[in-house]
Amino acid sequence: MKKTIRVNHLARVEGHGGVTVELDGRSIGAVRFDIFEGARLLESLARGRSYLDVSQIVSRICAICSVAHSLTSIKATEKAFGVKPTPQTELLRDLLFRGEDIESHALHVFCLAVPDYLNYPSVLALAADMPEAARLGLRLKKLGNTIQEVIGGRAVHPVNCVVGGFGKLPSNEQLVALRDELKWAAEASEKVVELVASLPPAEFGSKDTVFAALIPGGDFGYGYYAGDQIGVMINGKLEKVPAEQYRSVANERPVPHSHAKHSSYQGRPFMVGALARLTINGGLLNGTVAGVKEKFGLKLPSGNPMDNNKAQALELVYDIRRSLEVVEQILAEGLRDEAPVPVKPKAGSGTGVTEAPRGMLVHSYSYDDQGRLLTADVITPTAFNAASVEDHLRCAVEANSADSDEVLTRKLEMIVRAYDPCISCSVHLVRKRNAP
Amino acid sequence: MAKPTIGVFGLTGCAGDQLVLLNCEDELLELAQLVDIRDFLMANSANDTECRLDLALVDGAVLSRRDEEDLKKIRERSNLLVALGTCAVWGGVAAMDRYDDRSRRLAEVYGEAGAKYDSLPARALHEVVKVDLSIPGCPIDKQQLLAAVASLLNGDLPVLPQYPVCTECRWRENNCLLIEKGLFCCGPVTAAGCGALCPSLNIPCVGCRGPAADANLESALAMYREKGYTPEEIAARLRTFAPQAVGGEA
Repeated sequence: MKKTIRVNHLARVEGHGGVTVELDGRSIGAVRFDIFEGARLLESLARGRSYLDVSQIVSRICAICSVAHSLTSIKATEKAFGVKPTPQTELLRDLLFRGEDIESHALHVFCLAVPDYLNYPSVLALAADMPEAARLGLRLKKLGNTIQEVIGGRAVHPVNCVVGGFGKLPSNEQLVALRDELKWAAEASEKVVELVASLPPAEFGSKDTVFAALIPGGDFGYGYYAGDQIGVMINGKLEKVPAEQYRSVANERPVPHSHAKHSSYQGRPFMVGALARLTINGGLLNGTVAGVKEKFGLKLPSGNPMDNNKAQALELVYDIRRSLEVVEQILAEGLRDEAPVPVKPKAGSGTGVTEAPRGMLVHSYSYDDQGRLLTADVITPTAFNAASVEDHLRCAVEANSADSDEVLTRKLEMIVRAYDPCISCSVHLVRKRNAP
Repeated sequence: MAKPTIGVFGLTGCAGDQLVLLNCEDELLELAQLVDIRDFLMANSANDTECRLDLALVDGAVLSRRDEEDLKKIRERSNLLVALGTCAVWGGVAAMDRYDDRSRRLAEVYGEAGAKYDSLPARALHEVVKVDLSIPGCPIDKQQLLAAVASLLNGDLPVLPQYPVCTECRWRENNCLLIEKGLFCCGPVTAAGCGALCPSLNIPCVGCRGPAADANLESALAMYREKGYTPEEIAARLRTFAPQAVGGEA
């Protein structure tokens, strides 16, 4: 008997997407992660604009990842012009990324994932029975936003980041208040560990998975901003690719059912995000999260996409503790009163690769000698992940074919949510690439 | 008395204004006690997609036939409809090509398949349905949102600032980035309500809150020209978030 299982509009994800599975008796036909978010053509709209305007325009690709889009844009522009930001700027940007990661992971873990594991439709419903857990999640989420406000000027679409540095540096008072809240959070993060460790196991189908992530550079340890190499973990081996050669990792091709292109490395889909980062860069974590992985029962490498939720929780705990170290270091040493380094536009191109909360993000630009944008290419984490999501969905359909439609549908939704997709992000990348 | 029923919706956009609602971390749980949030796909997976709503909050712009149908359906089931954020109020960044040839841009981005996509030039909500209140901002301001919802639930239409960002910038005693440094600041023509956030960080206003009703556009345009900006630069910058900021020509 032929039938189709469909999730028309995925809930508790950002943007407009769905899932379609076609079954014919026991054989599985198409398995699709459908993306039907409208197209805004932002890359095309940014073309011709001054470098001064670009990061503000492309930031609007996505609200939850707006720090990542702004700073990846700025990183690409600085590379194109040969601008080298100061170590202090790099440190503050690293901290700003951690703020976004804390906000996004707290939102995802507490508002989207934990309710899934415990069978609640939302964090508000969860709050009725577990008010402390809901309040903890919201306060941590707020802390992430506070970091973004203190460093980036605003929680959504940061305004303080410019090519070469920052418009204004945070005040001592702001940093002291932030440190105090981080101290609370560092203690409270024990409760995050307890909560996540107590969640019922979730495995709906695992398979040997390829992972890709930025390899962190600079002296920031396990981070999301600095670095110019992409690591791909395939068949138990780590391959390194320079950032400028990102296209050899992406190998994008258009697919008819989705407004996002699909990526593959050596013919295989790959996963980006917290689980990929931990798999590739876990050795860089410092001792502040010792033992957490074991408490979560997280064994790497893992081919179970549900483990991305645990990986995010571990990063959440790590980022809180690392941010506290960074803010204490800044307060001890004091901030130098630095203006942005001077920028002299020149013709050229540059590629910035970073880690947005939900995975690797690429911005690649070329400029004319007046500093006007000639071409822009943006590949977002959800686009990198689209093919891998379908792979894991297919695997789950195979492993759970005896389930009722309702149970199977719920499992498929949980897998998509575990990827923490950002559908607005993924869409603008339906585009024809212009030859440089 | 029954709690007011509320729906929160996103059309095409970055979902940033829905995120601002979720960013009301200190108020969210209390708010959820006072109102009955029935339909909020981004945050809830058990939604009633048909019920009557006292209040609908809608972010994003209309960029597809699907958006248009969704919006009309929301309008039909809602007593009050609030446009949330600059995309909903003015069309936002995706609307900056409104005076341009969209079919050409679609072809540029999608190749020949472009013509088949469900894709329309960006429109603000009020260009498709009746809107009862517009809260601009990219994103909206958290306090303004909470105050507006509180007013609406008490039967009042909230009053939002009609004056430009410059007014708030003066209150903060900032040095003028446009007059003193010649930087292109959209403050003179942009709706206030942000507390002159960007100029206070030494960053020129990019106009993310859309045009101010009480702005003196003529005088601002004269100032930009005096500072050496070309009509093309002026039009491009002022139209980044709202194509209506300067009409069809600068």
